[in-house]
Amino acid sequence: MKNSFDEKILEEANDWINSNQKVVLATVIQTWGSSPRQVGSRMIVNEKGDFSGSVSGGCVESAVVRECLGLIKDNKPFKKIEFKVSNESAWEVGLACGGEIAVYLEQVK
Amino acid sequence: MKIKILQEIIKKKASKTEFAILTNLNNGDTGIFEKDKKLSKNFENYRVHIENFFKSKKNGVIENTEIFVETYIRPTKVIIVGAVHIAQYLVDFARSLNFEILIIDPRGYFATEQRFPNLKIINKWPDEAFEEIETNENTALIALTHDPKIDDPAIKHALNKNFFYIGALGSKKTHENRCIRLRQTGFNEKQINSIHGPIGIKLGGKSAPEIALSIIAQLVEVTYKK
Repeated sequence: MKNSFDEKILEEANDWINSNQKVVLATVIQTWGSSPRQVGSRMIVNEKGDFSGSVSGGCVESAVVRECLGLIKDNKPFKKIEFKVSNESAWEVGLACGGEIAVYLEQVK
Repeated sequence: MKIKILQEIIKKKASKTEFAILTNLNNGDTGIFEKDKKLSKNFENYRVHIENFFKSKKNGVIENTEIFVETYIRPTKVIIVGAVHIAQYLVDFARSLNFEILIIDPRGYFATEQRFPNLKIINKWPDEAFEEIETNENTALIALTHDPKIDDPAIKHALNKNFFYIGALGSKKTHENRCIRLRQTGFNEKQINSIHGPIGIKLGGKSAPEIALSIIAQLVEVTYKK
């Protein structure tokens, strides 16, 4: 069983903020079929595109970073995005595992 | 999410308080849920659903809503009675599976720091030991001594406190005798049948690590059925 208390990603987000970085939290909110990371998995992204944590097994992280940068640039507070197994037109990335995930992005302000 | 909420979450994590992060995916609103505490009015309508997620230790979006719930629940406590050879392997498995473990054994020569480094060991008889441990329906008991003097009091405590898992080592015959003793002390059939005895799922192995594996596999299975 996952022990959320031991994961330190939110603490890391707080450290980034304390050093004057802009931070977006990306959280897996739904999964369908087989997907590598469970609901509640999280990564954080700053305005330079640095990231920590993960929302998949490396399949969609680059697209998530891109979306997070867009959120900061447009100064939007939040956004929901979905990744499917083959969604070429929208994301150019997919989940090789055949699963689908929904990720919620939110800026910490 | 507001920085203030992020910091409150970090504080709760540090103090190991059980809570849940609530997010309204439609408007970006965030809140914190804590059992028996007041909830901000934006989330109050969803209290029953949130409590269900909390109870089943689940993360997810509440059906037909845009509310996302992420729970922070402390690991399940597993009490092992009997600092025997099997227990040494059980401890390793249980650690990597995120169970919180402690061992009770009144026999000092078994329950030594050298055999079980970095682990809470209580060198007392179960009745005494349970006075200093908080237990509830989120606790599991693994009784390994197959000595009625030590196992029985622990099993009785676990039955009275409704532990979600009670397993006891011993052959079918040993377990039958155990059931007879429990019946005589007033436990009903439903309670007695809830004990996993002989303990573990059938893997076929006989070595200490194999038995430990069969026990921990059963515990994980029951944890998810809870």
